[in-house]
Amino acid sequence: MNGFRRFAAMAATYGFLGLMAFLSVFPFIWMVLGATNSSIDIIKGKLLPGAAFATNVGNFFTLVNVPLVFWNSAKIAILATVLTLAVSSLAGYGFEMFRSRRRERVYRAMLLTLMIPFAALMIPLFIMMGKAGLINTHLAVVLPSIGSAFVIFYFRQSTKAFPSELRDAAKVDGLKEWQIFLFIYVPVMRSTYAAAFVIVFMTAWNNYLWPLIVLQTNETKTITLVVSSLASAYYPDYGVVMVGTILATLPTLAVFFFMQRQFVQGMLGSVK
Amino acid sequence: MSELQLSEVRKSYGGLEVIKGVDLDIKSGEFVVFVGPSGCGKSTLLRMIAGLEEITSGDLTIDDVRMNDVDPSKRGIAMVFQSYALYPHMTVRENMGFALRFAGVAKTEIEKRVNEAAHILELGALLDRKPKQLSGGQRQRVAIGRAIVRHPKIFLFDEPLSNLDAELRVHMRIEIARLHKQLATTIVYVTHDQVEAMTLADKIVVMRAGVVEQVGSPLDLYDDPANLFVAGFIGSPKMNFLKGVIEVDHDRAYARLPDHGDAKIPVSPQAAAGTAVTIGIRPEHFNEAGPAALDLTVDMLEHLGGETFAYARHGNGELIVVETKNGRGLRAGDHLTARFDPVSALVFDGDGKRLR
Repeated sequence: MNGFRRFAAMAATYGFLGLMAFLSVFPFIWMVLGATNSSIDIIKGKLLPGAAFATNVGNFFTLVNVPLVFWNSAKIAILATVLTLAVSSLAGYGFEMFRSRRRERVYRAMLLTLMIPFAALMIPLFIMMGKAGLINTHLAVVLPSIGSAFVIFYFRQSTKAFPSELRDAAKVDGLKEWQIFLFIYVPVMRSTYAAAFVIVFMTAWNNYLWPLIVLQTNETKTITLVVSSLASAYYPDYGVVMVGTILATLPTLAVFFFMQRQFVQGMLGSVK
Repeated sequence: MSELQLSEVRKSYGGLEVIKGVDLDIKSGEFVVFVGPSGCGKSTLLRMIAGLEEITSGDLTIDDVRMNDVDPSKRGIAMVFQSYALYPHMTVRENMGFALRFAGVAKTEIEKRVNEAAHILELGALLDRKPKQLSGGQRQRVAIGRAIVRHPKIFLFDEPLSNLDAELRVHMRIEIARLHKQLATTIVYVTHDQVEAMTLADKIVVMRAGVVEQVGSPLDLYDDPANLFVAGFIGSPKMNFLKGVIEVDHDRAYARLPDHGDAKIPVSPQAAAGTAVTIGIRPEHFNEAGPAALDLTVDMLEHLGGETFAYARHGNGELIVVETKNGRGLRAGDHLTARFDPVSALVFDGDGKRLR
């Protein structure tokens, strides 16, 4: 009886896990299969590999200026990632290292901004960008993201594990605070930076709503916007859309693939 | 080599005063150990000397130059931390040369000094390793090496052996003593381990609650403590404290142990009859031939091979530690007559101050 119960529990666990895994993986399988089929076959619900892959790829490259949209996406994602990591890690370091009476109040107020939905910020941000003359520029996409409350929180939490004696030793060695940050903190916390890089890069690359509002001409649009516009055409070619989706997914997949070890280390903590 | 003076040095965090007016002279080449229980302020005082904590009031001078507002790197000090504080992303060589590189010292000079320090500390084979590839003892030596290369006027050690196992601690203790002889530099060393303090120091500074209780050579503090706290803190196992009372007989004052026979310990004639006092007897001052005796019952025994510590109780329940060379035959429950010479006992008044 005990054996049967154990088997039933195990079967239920694996059944549940299998279902969850299937639900997670199915969109990707469908994306890849869809890229090989014609739009009609996809609409009919065909879930087998087709022969239209070359045609779909050809059509995609005809409809979209692929190098330009990739360049736009890469420029925005890299700029946003580098600036976010620089600003947020400095803020996280500062919040943890410098004592002041009002530190926690400011920090809590900053965390509260996480609760404000982006939809509530869109119009004021758009007006600000308009007044700054930045509408339809990539800077308008990047600027609102670089002071990220979540990334600052992440860096502050990670900095708690940074040994204060390293900072003391560096002071005795003659380093100024900015030198301690640059030459000691940054290299010691590189796993934290790697994990933050993966998160911020993926968010910036996949960003849709805000770029949709501020980027208004084809010359400035990103891959995400272009693929979305293909899907919302009057007669959408879903095969072409699937090819675009695959291409849009590849960079984030590559970043995660090459940095997964550092990502996991960073999530566990840089300092052990 | 350099002299260091602290004059009426205080440190407060808001309304909380943690260092309460410390005066101290450290002579050139001296090995001074700050010792005291956790939270007594010894590490804070060391960090104030290093420049890692601001001095709220008072003066810190090194070679007669006021250092209160001088940057840590310009005070001529080098510090060894409890957790070693080696930069994990640098090799041993880079760790040791890092401060010199920042000070703009020429590469050849850095190389020379690093090699010299590596030779002194036998680190030659480890220079290209990262800290995580080293054992605790090796890391500690690198931390010391990093201090040596700077040719500091004063070395500061903050509980440097706390993270090592017992065997390595003894080994490193000897290494540090050897190093002090070899470099003949002033060293200020913080520890809570009184064995380290006794074995390394030329001068011990005993601290409690931000106050210096007594300063002196290890044996002076051991033989002649100024108060009950120092008497209890220095020595292991700690001194036995028994309740006593002052009696005056023909203008001569004695401290007597009312519950322990007729032992009389002579004290200053100013002591008033009937005053309650504490009498301190070190475990090793019990012997078989002293004129005074305590009748005890053995509670527990620690056989260390060469000697035995008997934890014994008197009728009133006081626990007394007796060191004996002939304790191998003793068993729990045995009767023990612990004899001592009253002259070796110390007497403290109600405030813990020594009565001489």
